[in-house]
Amino acid sequence: MENIVGIDVGGTFTDLYYADDEGCRTTTKVPSNPRDPSAALIHALQASDVDPAATALIVHGTTIATNAIIERKGARAALITTRGFRDILELGRRDRPTMYGLGGVQQPLIPRDLRFEVDERLDARGEVLRPLHRDEVLALGTALANEGIEAVVVCFLHAYANPAHEQAAARWLAELDAGFEIVTSHSVCNEYFEFERTSTAAIQGFLQPLVAGYARRLRERLDEGGYRSEALIMQSSGGVVPLDQVAARAANIVRSGPAAGVMAATRLAGEAGFDNIITGDMGGTSFDVAVVVDGTPKVARASRLDFRVILKLPMIDVHTIGAGGGSIAGLDGAGILQVGPESAGADPGPACYGRGGTAPTVTDANVVLGRIDWARPIGAGDQEALDLEAARAAIGDLGKCLDLGVEETAEAILRVVNHTMAGRTRLLSIEQGLDPRDFTFVCFGGAGPLHGAAIMRDVGISRLLVPPEPGVLCATGCCIADIRHDVSRTVERPLGELGDGELDDMLDELRRTGEAHLTASRQQDVTPDVSYTADLCYFGQIHNLRVAIERGWSAERLGGAFEAAYRAEFGNTLADVPATLVSVQAVVSAPPPGRVVRSPGDVVARPATPARRRPVHFGAWLDTAIYDRRALEPGMSFAGPAVVEQADTTTIVEPGMRASVDGFGNLQVEANS
Amino acid sequence: MNGAKPDPITLAVTRGALHQIADEMDLHLIHAAISPIISEMHDCAHGIYDAATGETIAQGGYGLPMFLANMQYTIQNLLSHVAAEGGFQPGDIWIVNDPYLSGSHLQDVTLVAPYFVDGEIFALLANTGHWMDVGGSVPGGWAPQAREIHQEGIIIPPLRLFKRGVRNEEVVRLILANLRLPEQIAGDLAAMTQVFHVGERGLADLIGRYGTRTVRACVEEMMERSERQMRDHIAGIPDGTYRFVDHFDNDGIVDAPLAVEFALSVDGTNMHLDFTGTSPAAIGPLNMAETTTRSLAFVALKHLFPDVPVNGGTFRPIHFEVPEGCMLAARYPAPVCGYTDVINRVIDVVFGALAQAIPEITPAAPFGTTGVTTVSGRRDDGSYYVAVFPYPGGYGASAQGDGLVNGTLPSSLAGFMSVEMSEHRFPLRFENLAIREDSSGPGRHRGGCGTTYEITALKDCLVSVLGDRVDHAPFGISGGGSAEPNRVRFHSGSREWEPEMRSKAEKVPLAPGDSVRLWSPGGGGFGDPRTRDLDAVERDLDQGIVTPECAEAVYGAVVERETNLAGAPRYRLDRAASRRRRSGTART
Repeated sequence: MENIVGIDVGGTFTDLYYADDEGCRTTTKVPSNPRDPSAALIHALQASDVDPAATALIVHGTTIATNAIIERKGARAALITTRGFRDILELGRRDRPTMYGLGGVQQPLIPRDLRFEVDERLDARGEVLRPLHRDEVLALGTALANEGIEAVVVCFLHAYANPAHEQAAARWLAELDAGFEIVTSHSVCNEYFEFERTSTAAIQGFLQPLVAGYARRLRERLDEGGYRSEALIMQSSGGVVPLDQVAARAANIVRSGPAAGVMAATRLAGEAGFDNIITGDMGGTSFDVAVVVDGTPKVARASRLDFRVILKLPMIDVHTIGAGGGSIAGLDGAGILQVGPESAGADPGPACYGRGGTAPTVTDANVVLGRIDWARPIGAGDQEALDLEAARAAIGDLGKCLDLGVEETAEAILRVVNHTMAGRTRLLSIEQGLDPRDFTFVCFGGAGPLHGAAIMRDVGISRLLVPPEPGVLCATGCCIADIRHDVSRTVERPLGELGDGELDDMLDELRRTGEAHLTASRQQDVTPDVSYTADLCYFGQIHNLRVAIERGWSAERLGGAFEAAYRAEFGNTLADVPATLVSVQAVVSAPPPGRVVRSPGDVVARPATPARRRPVHFGAWLDTAIYDRRALEPGMSFAGPAVVEQADTTTIVEPGMRASVDGFGNLQVEANS
Repeated sequence: MNGAKPDPITLAVTRGALHQIADEMDLHLIHAAISPIISEMHDCAHGIYDAATGETIAQGGYGLPMFLANMQYTIQNLLSHVAAEGGFQPGDIWIVNDPYLSGSHLQDVTLVAPYFVDGEIFALLANTGHWMDVGGSVPGGWAPQAREIHQEGIIIPPLRLFKRGVRNEEVVRLILANLRLPEQIAGDLAAMTQVFHVGERGLADLIGRYGTRTVRACVEEMMERSERQMRDHIAGIPDGTYRFVDHFDNDGIVDAPLAVEFALSVDGTNMHLDFTGTSPAAIGPLNMAETTTRSLAFVALKHLFPDVPVNGGTFRPIHFEVPEGCMLAARYPAPVCGYTDVINRVIDVVFGALAQAIPEITPAAPFGTTGVTTVSGRRDDGSYYVAVFPYPGGYGASAQGDGLVNGTLPSSLAGFMSVEMSEHRFPLRFENLAIREDSSGPGRHRGGCGTTYEITALKDCLVSVLGDRVDHAPFGISGGGSAEPNRVRFHSGSREWEPEMRSKAEKVPLAPGDSVRLWSPGGGGFGDPRTRDLDAVERDLDQGIVTPECAEAVYGAVVERETNLAGAPRYRLDRAASRRRRSGTART
């Protein structure tokens, strides 16, 4: 029997999703353990009663890399650069942390006293202007060996055009056998723009020793528990990488959990027939939104992890704002109601958790309005019931400042936070030139389905899709991702200069590199999927456009594809300006072993029967039908107002909306027109 | 007045919706504009304004900070012109770029459109976008030798570009005929007018939901609350008059300093900003219109009070006196295209004055010069290039901490070119791009260091630099010291030389192998350097940010021993001896 376990180790909760040929067998939520993330993972496995011997595959997403960057708890690393350029990492590209306010601190991943220069220089074509000297590298390496350095990052100017100097430096440093990890910039990000490449390589160096240790510990723990299965780690690109390769790709697993959620939403919505979706993942502290066009999530080529900490690797483009169940409501300086970005977090958490929190949160508002059943809570740890009175008191105190009643204040909190999320959702699609009304909204996360209907209405979207296990969707995503390797190289040449066959030679080289990685992942028996893209711009432009390309294309064909993309993006072309081929990329991917494929159930149209009824506040207290998600079968439908309850979340269907269950068990909600 | 106060829920939702409309207008133009200066540098602004008073109702959050209050003042200047021609009519769009009315420079073109509901004017929508060329003696519009505005380009006085929904094609033809990039700018102009549909649609939705009376009541309430919020901040500043004087090195034509005299008075909840005594308009283009002077003063205040919202209410408690005809309130025909460096000193003097009153939140002076370095020439294939490298520099220290290194202008968000990309595109080589050591203003918290870079020509080229802050360094506050000033050196053959106007030089020819080296200023320091934490001094030494001589003489530290790691010196301070030296100094 094929079976698979997906585990998402988040900041607050560790979620588990277990499926076999029959589909989803179980979902589990346990508290995370920030001090020892692999312990929570084992805990989740044990709590789910998954038979170790029968588990074919464990795939997991983790926040360890993200947290190490934000908290600066990575390796003591050193940087070696071209003479004159050791400060690139700290200088960035001339900016400041916030638009207004000149304060703010910067903490480079590698401080200036651990940044060193050597005499060498290449030009933009990769030709050697000044050679690199072995003695100088060895002397520096020897000195660093006695300094407790865990990783040495080598980044030379124009190394993407000619990696020889970086490779030689790495080889000589390795000869010293000094115990530090060695990272070269071209091997992490083979593209120009020195700050972005140096930053990306520094992130890799900062994370590599930590992630290597984590992978080792996790493998030991799995072995101890009798889990013989292969383990894969989710990457931020939406693909997975084997545990034994993850250290070398440590920078690729930053924000892997949110990427997994988008992948799962894409797959589930695609099965249900929706290729253009906007995903909204609302948890305890944040709301993550992403756009998927034609079944493909938008990919960001560079992401800002912190001030002047830029990661230039393909990542699913997930935008985050501080709006979650724990977001605190209060008055701003003008006395106007505001929700977030401050969060009560997991500790003390919302007032209704009864752990000493007194600030009114979004979760408290949902409890006060009866949308969350205080007597049957989810995700509140081992608590039997929530403290309704504490929630009413917290919201009531805020209401006094606004001269509003308790329920009115709670409704106001929800309206403001829903507007904030809807506003960001609209801006994200507009930034990309898309009309949000052409999309289906897929909401998930522990708090997402409570707010999805309101966000859908505010944005002007007509359909909402709530997956079967929305509270653990990121864990689900781990189970459906491909093993994936992204490779790229900078070209930076006028398109007109490209000779016959030159493009194919470059693409073949990329494909071979990607396939070599896959072979190392023991995927020899599958034929990988290979897709190519190219970045182009008009000569002189700073930003470029990415277009899908194919092997065998001529330079003219490539130029035509660029012009079409440019016209679609900007409405015109700069016809007289020559185009430049900036870089080419390949994605080499293959499905993991043991992947579960779902087939739709029979859809029989019939009304759903509520499990019970209780008063829920929608502008006024309404007697509202409460449905048990497990009892909802394909074809069943019902009208709002309604509440759907399940182990991992609560879904709200507003008055004037209608919900039905599709063949895959998704809840589809539509506004009555 | 519209009677009842709006309920708190509607108020919160309406405020969010108005900001959303302005943000969506920003993003639509950024997406649709053809000129990269709009699409990539976001050199634009959008907002919604009161039709009667011109006050800002909401302004987008994606445009440049320098337009913060510039839009409101431009519209207020426009109102009398419109009234004289019969007032706003449905379907009209007005256009203006006259800097004496609309601020900044000729390249910033402003459009204003009325929004009517049921035949009654409800609000004005406006946008500003930077046009890549406006004619004049120099492509792009920056003419360092200009002595009157006509050398800078075409002036568009307030005109009806659209009359009752119909574009005046004759006006468009006249404008485009005077520009070097007519097709590109025709596209930008079309994009700027289309953005009004986005604003109109958003306002129609909002008014459809709540009605004009309620939305108007919300707007009034928002303004009143912003005004109260700003007045609360002002009330927290001790009453009094705080004076500050700062200077420009010269205007690039006459080598004499230009003074900015400034007095900031606080009286209860009102603030008065008085620039009386500031030098008259310069002969060269180092001048600025009053509209932009006021806007930059608000940028400085917004950096100190980032929480105050941007609307007309925020601006109400602030009063200005900028003598007409001085370099900060230039009159026709004074050239203004050098305003790019003038803007910095307005921010500096506001900080310098307020540091005397509220040192707990005011930073010391930032690097204070836009320092545009322009290199032009021909590549191997004969094609012409212009490369622009604007100054990064250090920010001033504050009570909260050390200043930032490599900051962008406080009035902007624009970045710096990539070295690798520049070397691909231009026949230039960077010798370095580095933190300028020993350049920060010393203090309990030190300023951010400046940045240094040297560019070598690989082929013949011309280099122009427009900077300042050589003779008058960025100042420290509360006992902190000044940063190292700006420095520009050319290397021609074996000769190293400084331009006659120090950091202003026009079209200096470089032969292959010649170079220009720039050292941008750091930021000023905060507090007595002899109270700086000794661990921080030791770290600055190890990082090469301060020299051992400076650590001993300025910071009062005693270096116990020096070792080295791979040639890089490492220091250990003698804590006890340092404390003795510091207290000994205190006694004498």
